Amino acid sequence: MERIGVFICECGPNIKEALNVEEIAKYASSLAHVAFVKSHTLLCAEAGKALLKKEIIERNLSRVVIAACSPKEHESTFMKIAEEAGLNPYLVQIANIREHCAWVISDKVIATEKAKVIIRTAVSRVLLHQPIVNKEIDCTPDALVVGAGVAGIEAALVLAQKGRKVYLVEKSPNIGGRVVRYEDVFPKFECATCMLDPKLDEILHKNNIHVFTYSVVDEVLGYFGNFIIKIKKKARSVSTETCLGCGACFEACPVNVKNRYNENLNERKAIYIPFVGALPNVAVIDRKNCLHFRNKATENTEEKKCEICKANCPFGAINFDDQDEIIEIKVGSVVLATGFDSFIANKIPRSGYGKFENIYTGLEFERILSSTGPTGGEVILKNGESPKSAAIIHCVGSRSKKFHNYCSGVCCTYSLTFAHIIKKKSPNTEVFNFYSDFSLAGKGYHELYDKALEDGVNLIRTAGPDAVEVNEDAGSLVVKYKDAAGKESKLAVDMVILSTAIEPSEDATSISQLFDITLGSDGFFTEEHDKLAPVSTTTGGIFIAGCCQGPKDIQSSVAQGAAAAGKILSCLVPGEKLKLEATIAEIDEKLCSGCKICIGLCPYKAIYFDKEKKVAAINDILCKGCGICSAACPSGAVKARHFTSCEITAEIKEIMK
Amino acid sequence: MNNFEPRIVAFLCSWCSYAGADKAGSSRKTYPQNINIIRVMCSGRVDPQFVLEAFKEGADGVLILGCHPGDCHYKEGNYNILRRYHFLKKVLMELGIEEGRFKLDWVSSTEDDKFVTIVSEMVKNVKSLGPLRNEALI
Repeated sequence: MERIGVFICECGPNIKEALNVEEIAKYASSLAHVAFVKSHTLLCAEAGKALLKKEIIERNLSRVVIAACSPKEHESTFMKIAEEAGLNPYLVQIANIREHCAWVISDKVIATEKAKVIIRTAVSRVLLHQPIVNKEIDCTPDALVVGAGVAGIEAALVLAQKGRKVYLVEKSPNIGGRVVRYEDVFPKFECATCMLDPKLDEILHKNNIHVFTYSVVDEVLGYFGNFIIKIKKKARSVSTETCLGCGACFEACPVNVKNRYNENLNERKAIYIPFVGALPNVAVIDRKNCLHFRNKATENTEEKKCEICKANCPFGAINFDDQDEIIEIKVGSVVLATGFDSFIANKIPRSGYGKFENIYTGLEFERILSSTGPTGGEVILKNGESPKSAAIIHCVGSRSKKFHNYCSGVCCTYSLTFAHIIKKKSPNTEVFNFYSDFSLAGKGYHELYDKALEDGVNLIRTAGPDAVEVNEDAGSLVVKYKDAAGKESKLAVDMVILSTAIEPSEDATSISQLFDITLGSDGFFTEEHDKLAPVSTTTGGIFIAGCCQGPKDIQSSVAQGAAAAGKILSCLVPGEKLKLEATIAEIDEKLCSGCKICIGLCPYKAIYFDKEKKVAAINDILCKGCGICSAACPSGAVKARHFTSCEITAEIKEIMK
Repeated sequence: MNNFEPRIVAFLCSWCSYAGADKAGSSRKTYPQNINIIRVMCSGRVDPQFVLEAFKEGADGVLILGCHPGDCHYKEGNYNILRRYHFLKKVLMELGIEEGRFKLDWVSSTEDDKFVTIVSEMVKNVKSLGPLRNEALI
């Protein structure tokens, strides 16, 4: 015989004054199976909780209805009390008589009647509740980090410091991401390479971090706690053990190709190290352009295959027979820190980019400023002369209805940083920043604005991001703009820098599909919650950090990397099991016809087909308990725990009584 | 007819719409008491059977509220109910249940005003349609 206890919370005056609590209590006592009814001033307070626990035990209650505030407020509080009193926590049902009744109905009589319906519905439902036990599974605490930029590096280091084995996969031949290729970074004009070097060194030398450069993730199987990942280590054709990065090979190589690590501003060889100081300091052969492999591809046997680099390597490190390698690893969680790409400026023809010389994007100018870049850090024009004037145009691709609606957040700061560095390197160069609004929120960022004024930088406010145009006239670049007052003017300059937007990396879509996470309308990875869960995703065990989640500065990227690692450290602990969601779906094998409708609908790929039994089966780890499968099953074979069809039908019937 | 108080069953997803209804309460907005809320984890959990059952049991209207498209806590559950809704509406109309009695909409956890507007309009519409004669379902 069931003994249901109904506890009515007066919530101070909140419920007490809006409803006739006494009448409701009397009504609740009359309901079938209700053995005990009690009202209390404030059930969520310590005294209320103590009373609840005591009465459940002393009255030997088998199920409990709490008529109080929204389940979103205190369901977990009361479930915990029930558990302490020896009841399964899922034998509790909340009747929301505050938010859905007392607070929204002004007439006390009507509100009291409504509360009766809500409580009787809860009583009929709780009678059908089944105890649910939280399941736990074995898991691996090791982690995969994809992307070795600042965010990925931070995540890997934090995890490794706590002894976790970390696999760090980077598609480039070197680590350090975008930041390692910058010179002075805002707000303190700190040398990026100097700042990063100790971290990169630690990454390469820590025993429990396994670095895979020139590698990509090929396949992802499994789920939170137990992923099986296949890493494709592309053939580098140079042994990482024996190559010392001496450069004898690329000095001898006869092939010149554009170097995308210098934003295509200069050339490299077919065997190359992306830039001076790149780590690991090991060469790589670009097989698409290498004569040895090109000749092989065309089967031109007449011509002798080029082996100049091999002949010149003093360490015998060149290996033309190197093959792509697939490495299988087992990890419990993944941090995606796959970075961003820069807006392609020639999508905006009026920017002049690609049409005229001496126009650079933000990333290109970073390389020009870099001492390891194409000009050795000198700000010079194509003709080798120093520019007498330079225009920096803000918001190229950002804040535009046609391209990206969002503000990239870092362009104002880096544009002012560029202005300051140009002034420092060449004080006689006139610098003009064309902006429409300044976005300089951040520690020490607004000070860059004051510094620009001190430096004598001309800050010109335009009518909007679309109000600036770059043309060429008599061999000189001309910036045509409409200022904030609507007046049109022209200004001749020697050099133009376009502060291009941060946009999702070109492989964002394929990575999102590989790891089964969602992309937002702007193309960046979607976080589980924009404020409260910014580094988790809706896919268990997959975390995101840095610019793959949205435009951000270095400090925020590092913070997210650390946050993602922290999340992993707290949820996957060596020797501990992983607690699973309790209210998930289950399949009644006797009823399942094997139609597979549910398999296609599950947003978490949590349902698979058991070929032996010819029925659908639920993966308890992946299931999040949405119940979509249950609603779609034509045989009624899928039970959504705690939201079963019986329970919901009972609610409908009781409401309509 | 003026005294007719319709009974409407409303299925609210736990994440956005139920929270939106909670916010209406927290902000002390008043709305007609004719709405009876049933919490489901996702709007995609709403089985067509539940809708038919509600009408069969005497509901004058059924309302389903979920997260906005693209905001579903379960990625795409609300798209499932959207597809189902258009189909089910046609079936219900075949059974003589007018269009205004069955409604699907999106309410986020901050849209207390939208929740109140949807509920109030639904009650007004169903009131003007009068009680449902549900012989077809019995």
